[in-house]
Amino acid sequence: MRMKVVLTTLVCTALASMITLASMTAPVMAAWRSYISHPMGFAFAAPGELEVAKGAYRGAVAGARATSVYRFVDDNIEYKVEVIDMTDKANDSATLLGEAAYIFQENNKLFMDAFGAVDRQYGRKLTVDLPNNGGRATAAFYFIHGRIISLIATVLPANGDYDTPEAARFIDSISFHTVRAPDNAIELPAPPK
Amino acid sequence: MRKLIVATLAGAALSVMAMPAQAAWKSYVNKELGFSFMAPGDVKTEVGNSRGTLAGPRQTIVYRSIEDNIEYKVTVISFIQAQAEGAALLGERQYTFQNRKKVLTDTFALVGSGKDTVYGRKIVVEQPDNKGRTTGAFYFTKGRMFVLEATVLPARSNAAAQDPDRFVESIAFALARMAPDAIELTTPELE
Repeated sequence: MRMKVVLTTLVCTALASMITLASMTAPVMAAWRSYISHPMGFAFAAPGELEVAKGAYRGAVAGARATSVYRFVDDNIEYKVEVIDMTDKANDSATLLGEAAYIFQENNKLFMDAFGAVDRQYGRKLTVDLPNNGGRATAAFYFIHGRIISLIATVLPANGDYDTPEAARFIDSISFHTVRAPDNAIELPAPPK
Repeated sequence: MRKLIVATLAGAALSVMAMPAQAAWKSYVNKELGFSFMAPGDVKTEVGNSRGTLAGPRQTIVYRSIEDNIEYKVTVISFIQAQAEGAALLGERQYTFQNRKKVLTDTFALVGSGKDTVYGRKIVVEQPDNKGRTTGAFYFTKGRMFVLEATVLPARSNAAAQDPDRFVESIAFALARMAPDAIELTTPELE
């Protein structure tokens, strides 16, 4: 009886040690937070620390455009929301959206090109392999209120798990009905001037 | 030798006679709506209807011909008051076109070049209940949606015919480049 108790204690201790060790060696996953932009009318969720920056976009039809970039990096996955103001050419929304999606996949190996239908907005979802083993990027493009909203999740080679569900979780978190955003959603700041 | 030549010529003549008569392809243009295309057969003008969740009920302008068991159809829908919603309206139309059908291809489609490029989609689907194969091309420009559909009907055995591609790829929005002998299409009055 005493032997049985000793063996059980040993096995439990070993198991507990293994679980502790495994949790210590696993990468620290940041919590996902919700973000919202009331002026631009969208919300999404992402892990990691938010960085806000200005970016640039150029298309033959769109011309040169300044963009607002909301970027996160967690577990070697880059999550990026880019907003391109096209208010002055909104009447060309279908072509501008098509151009943005086309540029994203141009010269890349295309894995997926599908409808992205969210809250009565029809966009495109695409997955490509980036050149020079730069990783795999999944993106969604929408045109709403005169702006192109793009979400791009890039699984970097250091992560290596190109089928991770985290990319889809980010892409599919977009909502254009801001009433659906959680109460604790963080308001996105304007990019620096 | 002479017999062989005569027999060969006779065989060739017979096979030509046995082939279905192919109508010539003609160029068509509607300057008012701002587009041109090519199609075979006798193109007829009709008024149609369409309905979408976003688009609502709409009257449409339809140009249609049937040739060698392929139906060619151009549908024009005006959204002059909702031009900024063009991306979502076009997406809805494309989605409806392929919904619950077997999609064979779904690719980018570009008309024109440079800053005048119009981006759309080209989708090929199998119609349910063996009703044929439809190639569709979808564009939205200057407040109007343009949908080109070519359906290879079951009576035609070769579903992979090249004529649907030729039809949907003939669309042009830059009328400066239209064929000089293009036939001018009328624009029917909508209610």
